[in-house]
Amino acid sequence: MIARISSVEIVGPKGMLRDVLTCLQDLGVFQIEPELVRVVEKGDEAYIRPFLQDKKMLSERIFLDDLRLKINTLFSCLPEISVRTSYIDPLPVLDNIAKTIDRHISRCRLVNEKKEVLEKERTELNRYRIFLDALFSILGDIGDTPDLDFIGLTIKEPDMVGLIRQLLSQITDRKFEFLTATAEDGTLAGLIIIPKSISGKVKQYLSEKQLPELALPPALRDLSFPEKNTHVKKRITVIAGEIEDIAVEMERFAHRWVPIYLNVRECVAERLSLLRITASVFETTMCFFISGWMPSDDVEQVRKKIRDTFQGKATIEEKEVFEEYLDRVPVVLKNPPYFRPFELLVKYLPLPRYTSLDPTPFIGIFFPIFFGMILGDAGYGIVLVSLSAVMIKLVRGKKELVDAFKILLISSVYAVFFGILYGEFFGDLGHMLFGLKPVWVERRGAVVPMILFSLSIGAAHMVLGLALGFIAAIRKGSKKEALYKFLTTLIFIFIIILIASLFELVPRLFTRPVVSGILILTPFLILTGGLLAPLELLKSIGNMISYVRIMAIGLTSVMLAFAANRLAGMTGDIMTGIFVAGLLHLLNLILGVFSPAIHSLRLHYVEFFGKFLEYGGKKFEPLRK
Amino acid sequence: MEKVLIAFAAALAIGLTALATGWAQSRIGASGAGTLAEKPELVGAIVVLIAIPETMVILGFVIATMILLMLK
Repeated sequence: MIARISSVEIVGPKGMLRDVLTCLQDLGVFQIEPELVRVVEKGDEAYIRPFLQDKKMLSERIFLDDLRLKINTLFSCLPEISVRTSYIDPLPVLDNIAKTIDRHISRCRLVNEKKEVLEKERTELNRYRIFLDALFSILGDIGDTPDLDFIGLTIKEPDMVGLIRQLLSQITDRKFEFLTATAEDGTLAGLIIIPKSISGKVKQYLSEKQLPELALPPALRDLSFPEKNTHVKKRITVIAGEIEDIAVEMERFAHRWVPIYLNVRECVAERLSLLRITASVFETTMCFFISGWMPSDDVEQVRKKIRDTFQGKATIEEKEVFEEYLDRVPVVLKNPPYFRPFELLVKYLPLPRYTSLDPTPFIGIFFPIFFGMILGDAGYGIVLVSLSAVMIKLVRGKKELVDAFKILLISSVYAVFFGILYGEFFGDLGHMLFGLKPVWVERRGAVVPMILFSLSIGAAHMVLGLALGFIAAIRKGSKKEALYKFLTTLIFIFIIILIASLFELVPRLFTRPVVSGILILTPFLILTGGLLAPLELLKSIGNMISYVRIMAIGLTSVMLAFAANRLAGMTGDIMTGIFVAGLLHLLNLILGVFSPAIHSLRLHYVEFFGKFLEYGGKKFEPLRK
Repeated sequence: MEKVLIAFAAALAIGLTALATGWAQSRIGASGAGTLAEKPELVGAIVVLIAIPETMVILGFVIATMILLMLK
């Protein structure tokens, strides 16, 4: 249900503002209403103004904002690792931290810059290494070659090899050697060996043809080919070591300082949120006052706490919530433990308005019933009950998952119940093994009764939805809407009786009075709901027919289970039969979790909630740590 | 012959509505998947939107059942 919210005003001497706000933050049940000025009584506007922050508060805010920014900058320089919790009270050391952090930032920046330079060098050397490794496999241990020049190329297109060879023949008069090899990364490395006398000409020509030479770093230029290869490999190893040392140093630093800075950042964020909130506070010459919302159940507790803490100097007063402010009242859903997991299913929809109804109890009652009616197999139900019970224990601590498995557990219990009514235990396996017979109806052979049953459920659900719409309209104080909802409910019931009498499900005697009733009420329906009101009514009939899915989806499930058992029987071998049946039942079980869940949800979201729920509620966001 | 026609009519009632549902769901599903990539919080609305066209096939199923049961 939607918890009752009270509008409250807290008043006290200006000097106590921060302490009162801290106290409210500790309690975590008060949401400040920033547009307070709208609820100031007429004539008082001249004496009340938004709270002006003094010089001290402003400088504190600037200091804290700056500190938070610096902490974030420092964290961006540090590795993300899990750290211990620090129990140091950050407030007394805030000034020291503010002095230390600049030093830490510049130190971390320097180390990071050094790491970046090393990583860049390593990337470049790796490129050379790939190239040199590929060529080393061709040239082997070549000695000093003072008359020859080596030009390295990285060839992107293998087709270029022929073209380069042709070009070199023309320029060098066939005085060249052109070797290629595939490097580790898949690229083609090329090496042109030419006399030093013509190397300048070749380099210029390659540049003109946009075939850039792989330029080696200056340190490698004067070395022989094998020396180049050894030097690159050695340097890569040294760099890897240096990077590793930096990582260890940064990790050590993070372990030592991150817990403290995290603690400080949290404290700073709390102080800043308090300082920001003062912008939503109002003041007179001597006093401050804060207006906002809190759950009515908590008002007494807050009143007592404020009275005790401030010896009666600050006070809290509950105010009347005017109708025009109802749309601004935040919404808190408070449900008994049984319904609480079902809030998960409501969470996917926008919040209902404060004047509307909480859909959680309704989905908590009907969702498992619909799920059970659709799945309706005791065997599958027992498997799902066991599975969800185990999973609840396994995923303990993850609230959403626990809630989801709790919903599955409750729904599976209903599946067992309906399974007994339908006489289904893994399809007709129960009947074959233990002679299990349906207590109520066998779904497979009773298509029409099941359609009628589903339609009856739909009709009842729709009537409930329309009646809730009527109640919601009364709660909202809208008489015309309430009358419209009432007439819709009445005519809807008449139409159901009419259809039932036409199909001779109820005595034909009802037909005439019901038709008369519809004809009399329809003009009033149009008057209250507009010209489209009859169309809305027809939509409700369509919604009711939509409940046939309870039967339809259930029938597919039971037929698949039946087919699994038949196929298993046809194999003629026990082991193969068990395997085939197990596989098909597993498939049916998986479908049996998703399909009924989605269709039951849809029946609620589209058909049922549309009749009474008004979305657009504001989330309750209390001031808390 | 009459039985064949009745069966054909029932098959059309369920078949055409199933095709229509499939087509509508494919369009909504594709758009929904795109939406979810950007706004995962809209999962509830997307489930509802995808499930809406299923009413067509349910209605088709009802009509097919009525054809088979009332015209036999």
